[in-house]
Amino acid sequence: MTVATRRSETDDVVESTPEEPGRSGRTEGRPEGREIEARVGWRYTLREVGRDPTAMAGLLVVGVMTAMAVFATVDAVVFASLARFEVFARVGVRQYWIAETLWVSPIAEPSPRLLPPVGMENQFGRGTWAHPLGTDDRGRDILARIVYGSRIAIQVGIVSTLLGLVGGVLVGAVAGYYGDLVDDALMRAVETLYAIPFLVLVLAVMAAFGRNLTFAILGVGIASIPTFARLIRSRVLSVREADYVEAARAAGVRDRNIIRRHVVPNSFAPVLVQATLQVGYSIIVVAGLSFLGFGAQPPTPSWGQMLSVSKDYMIQNVWFSIWPGLAILVTVVGFNVFGDGLRDALDPRLQNE
Amino acid sequence: MNIYRYALRRLLQAVPVVLGIVTITFLLSNAIPGDPVQIMLGPSPSQAEVEAIRARYGLDQPLYVRYVNYLAGLLQGDLGRSIYYGVPVLQKIQERLPATLLLIVSSFGFAIATAVPLGVVSAKRRNDPTDHVARVVSLVGVSTPSFWIGLMMILVFVYHLGWFPATNLVMPWAPPSALPAAETRVDVLLASAHHLFLPTVSLGTLQMAAITRIERSAMLETLSEEYVRLARAYGVSERTILRKHAFRNAQLPVITILGLQITTAIGGAVLTETVFQINGMGTLIVDSIARLDYPTIMGTTVVYGLVFVLGVVVTDISYAYVDPRVTYGEAE
Repeated sequence: MTVATRRSETDDVVESTPEEPGRSGRTEGRPEGREIEARVGWRYTLREVGRDPTAMAGLLVVGVMTAMAVFATVDAVVFASLARFEVFARVGVRQYWIAETLWVSPIAEPSPRLLPPVGMENQFGRGTWAHPLGTDDRGRDILARIVYGSRIAIQVGIVSTLLGLVGGVLVGAVAGYYGDLVDDALMRAVETLYAIPFLVLVLAVMAAFGRNLTFAILGVGIASIPTFARLIRSRVLSVREADYVEAARAAGVRDRNIIRRHVVPNSFAPVLVQATLQVGYSIIVVAGLSFLGFGAQPPTPSWGQMLSVSKDYMIQNVWFSIWPGLAILVTVVGFNVFGDGLRDALDPRLQNE
Repeated sequence: MNIYRYALRRLLQAVPVVLGIVTITFLLSNAIPGDPVQIMLGPSPSQAEVEAIRARYGLDQPLYVRYVNYLAGLLQGDLGRSIYYGVPVLQKIQERLPATLLLIVSSFGFAIATAVPLGVVSAKRRNDPTDHVARVVSLVGVSTPSFWIGLMMILVFVYHLGWFPATNLVMPWAPPSALPAAETRVDVLLASAHHLFLPTVSLGTLQMAAITRIERSAMLETLSEEYVRLARAYGVSERTILRKHAFRNAQLPVITILGLQITTAIGGAVLTETVFQINGMGTLIVDSIARLDYPTIMGTTVVYGLVFVLGVVVTDISYAYVDPRVTYGEAE
């Protein structure tokens, strides 16, 4: 039990942050304040993360992947529509339709299928710079599909996490704040959600509403509600006893506003860390769903679906099944490392060690 | 209160949870678009045939009647009849559940056997090369999709090295006569372990990584406790401190994570079964979804929920064994 008490004490230090945003700045401003540098505040947290090279590496990966996803989205929406229009004008309806069905560009030279990466050779030919990572079973460039796959991965990871975060924080904060019957009812409901295995729940949702990415995101998001709800509830239980909450209540602030302006911001730090880790986890789960055929449907490239196709060609071209897996691994490691760094920065206990 | 009464009470508390699972899956399954009867009978069945099938499966009744009937059946151990297989769902689950349980249990065994020592050593030799290796292993472990590990292992160990078989899992309790090369029980067990190795590692890596992380941080935390410092001051050997003072107290968060990992393992098993073509619950549910066989979808989900709830209850009870401070809800 000592552990629990100590934890909440140290957490209180962090909790006072959003209430007093100027606090760390004030300490720095004092001439003799150097050695009693405040270990709170977002500025402090950011600086702390900045000092951690591993966390920065994670942030870099996250940044690069997100940039890649944004680029791919813009490319898909803007340039692809322009290109389509041009292609359409050049080849006419019939040929364009055939090409769309076969998923190859009608004006591009068809590439050999299952080419290895640059500098390697297999039964299908020698890898060239035209396709640095090789080609897949239809002669499509693997690098391009990996870049495009990042779009799905990042979108899925972030949107589903946000969904789980908002839902979980809402449920958990209300349950923790009101306690008693409300708490019991809400947390039992959440527990039920938790008792249905993650992937099976998502599969059930997809079975009911169809195999498309939106439902995968929705399913993964809903399935992550319990984690966030439990996490924030445990913090709210201690925050709601704080003096400033008491004061707000005495001043006649409405419960809704107390929860929104005092309780949630002060319980948010662990939720943020969990959210970062959850993005990585969601990416893995959705890749698994795509692998089973329940994610983005072809021809839209996604890493899980690439792996699913590649398993039939593993002997002919190993690289086809290595690249998408590596892409998932690197992205998820990025989010995990960054999340760990964030946690270390937000947990003052670790600083003295 | 003794341990049996505590276990009973925990089980009773799980009843509403199970009821919730049943309700959610029932509603979801009934929301499935597409008519299962049509799938069974082909494109142009006669009206009489359709009516007969609907009556046989109780599909002609309103939703709440079907719900009550389903609950009543469930209490009697009746999960309905599979539309696709034409046999009771329970029978199908009895066929498939053992393989899945075997896979999950063996992956947990693998995870605990590797993660606990790894975590302890990692905490003991903090910032040592051993610690760094352990941390990298666990980071990569939690970040890699289990099915990709499975694919890569098939590639290396099955296709290139030929050390392990990729498919056709042999159950350890299969009769020796079922295998061509087996004569005794030992042969069967060996063959089974041989088959099970790759799926176990593939599924267990994630658990292993998660447990290593928790074990390490829990050990670090207990090793900095006052009583450990006191024991050191008394000159108790480091080995004894580690084994008697720190280890046992560090296991609580580890057990919590084990309980939570059950869900992940169940989900992961669906993928592992697909990769290694094991006829388990996971492949059953994936196939049932493709065939709109909703009695089977419901049955499988409910059984998955039961497995999970039981796992959580077992986790709760094992707290008490590890931590003497936990009482079974007894008044002080």
